[in-house]
Amino acid sequence: MKEKYRGRGLLIFSSILMGLIVVVGLLGPFLLVDPLDQDLISAMKPPFSAHHILGTDPLGRDILSRIASGARVSLIVSILGMIGSLTVGTIMGLISGARNRWLAWASDRLIDVQMAFPYILLAIVIVSATTASLPILILLMVLAGWASAARVIRSIVLSERPKDYVKAAELVGADQKRVLIRYIGPTLVPAIFTIAPLQASAMIVMEATLSFLGLGVQPPTPSWGGMLLEGKVYLSEAWWLTTIPGIAIAITCAALIGIGEGLSVKLRGDRRRRVDPSQSETVNAKSNSTKLNSGGDKS
Amino acid sequence: MRFFLSRVAQALVIVSGITVSVFFMLRFTAGDPARIRGNLFSTNEVLDEYRRQFGTDRTVFQQFATFLNGVIHGSLGNSFRYQEPVTGLVLPALRHTMLLGMTALLISLSLAILLGTISARNPRGLVARASGVLAIFGQSAPLFWIGLLLISLFSVNLGWLPSGGFTSWKNLILPAVTLAMNILPSEMRVLSASVKAELDEDYVRTAHAFGLARWRVYFVHVLRNACLPLLTVVGNDMGMLLGGAIVAEVVFNFPGIGTLALVGLNARDYPLLQGVTIVAACTFVLVNLLVDLLYTVINPRVRLGGAT
Repeated sequence: MKEKYRGRGLLIFSSILMGLIVVVGLLGPFLLVDPLDQDLISAMKPPFSAHHILGTDPLGRDILSRIASGARVSLIVSILGMIGSLTVGTIMGLISGARNRWLAWASDRLIDVQMAFPYILLAIVIVSATTASLPILILLMVLAGWASAARVIRSIVLSERPKDYVKAAELVGADQKRVLIRYIGPTLVPAIFTIAPLQASAMIVMEATLSFLGLGVQPPTPSWGGMLLEGKVYLSEAWWLTTIPGIAIAITCAALIGIGEGLSVKLRGDRRRRVDPSQSETVNAKSNSTKLNSGGDKS
Repeated sequence: MRFFLSRVAQALVIVSGITVSVFFMLRFTAGDPARIRGNLFSTNEVLDEYRRQFGTDRTVFQQFATFLNGVIHGSLGNSFRYQEPVTGLVLPALRHTMLLGMTALLISLSLAILLGTISARNPRGLVARASGVLAIFGQSAPLFWIGLLLISLFSVNLGWLPSGGFTSWKNLILPAVTLAMNILPSEMRVLSASVKAELDEDYVRTAHAFGLARWRVYFVHVLRNACLPLLTVVGNDMGMLLGGAIVAEVVFNFPGIGTLALVGLNARDYPLLQGVTIVAACTFVLVNLLVDLLYTVINPRVRLGGAT
């Protein structure tokens, strides 16, 4: 009971925080100065100076409005990436939970490869084969994120398989597609809602990382990762150039993770089943290890 | 044995799949490396000369045949930019990356075991709360930002550690700690959960009753049983670890696979990029294979398909 209460507090707090970030991103362009507006006289102002509450960068651009504008870019790209990767991940997870052995084998291997192969390297190859642009960035994020979602979905599908309602459906003669979509599909919905905010937070980090490496959002469009890249050169003179965008990323991700955790606590209270992506995969191993102990391993 | 062979076969299929797709992806879509090698006003003759030298004047399939022939003889071609064999560039870089990755893994595992066990024992204690904060920070702050913060703290302000390059073991500390922060949260959470589950077991009570020292009970007896889930997480995080190593290299200007790949990207140096990707793919597949096999050795009940 207490845990449920704590989960709700976390959920409310994180949602309010996330709401604030969205509001800043949306209202930024109406209330703040142009994020591309250069003013070399007031360049490199530290935070809390007159007219520039978060300071300015080496070109005199206002950091607060760049942060707000970057929030818009980051959030839009991340949400698109999240939706894309969850869609692909759910489809692949369903396929790898299917009874068709070859199909399941192929999509399992594909998931393994994607999980094992570092997405940064993939991003470098793809960007060098094309050019860095927003559609490519979203494609990269979908590629980077679908596998972890697919794993969660697969483990749920596999745990639903032996249940009576699935067997009943198969006995009645429902084909695989129908079993997966009509019967198992709805049980995935809570899990998808729980991993969505976590996925979005991973996407924000990915977007920032790719932009930091120069593979994502291209200047002069402000993005949090790009601001960090530009600030890296001035690390010894202007700490705020790298600190502030980083804090923006960290707060946004923390809020999203908080929403995810809060949702998962709430759903666990409702369904008594944990659907947290980082833990669902270890459920097997944990039950194995406890079996190991009861099996007489006394160290 | 059958299990082993089937895993090796899978690994081979994966590596060749990645190799072929990278080769054709780069050839069909990327720009002309001769234009990047030559200066802006190079005449067509000069460019053609470069193209002949690089072999890009021939059809893609001829290039692929040459490439395959090279691979069979253990060569990945010559880098366009450095005019040297790619293997000579990639292998030292791979060694550096692996060194960085393994150091980070060691740091994160020792921290996870120490902090995870202590916080499992006393979930309301100071250590538990501090590691909770550390986990949230590590999870939500991007790796390269943590790297930049560490540089500005330890290199710029305190001047204790170098900010980049790789000349001595001191260069390894900051990137390794940065990378460790990235994988620590999941390891710590899983370990702490499994230690907590183990503490209810009879053998723990027995060990206490026998009067064994506390640290001995926790770090020898409990840990051995609690490590299995941890190994799963480490296996899952391997891609994240090596991918993170690439980012950390770029932040700290550490001469590894990642920096080499970015050089290859900017110079449109296909052989170099290809070499980096193939070598990296082999490494990742190999590491995963090792983790899988290690897992079956430790827990023999996990056999092919038995894990799920």
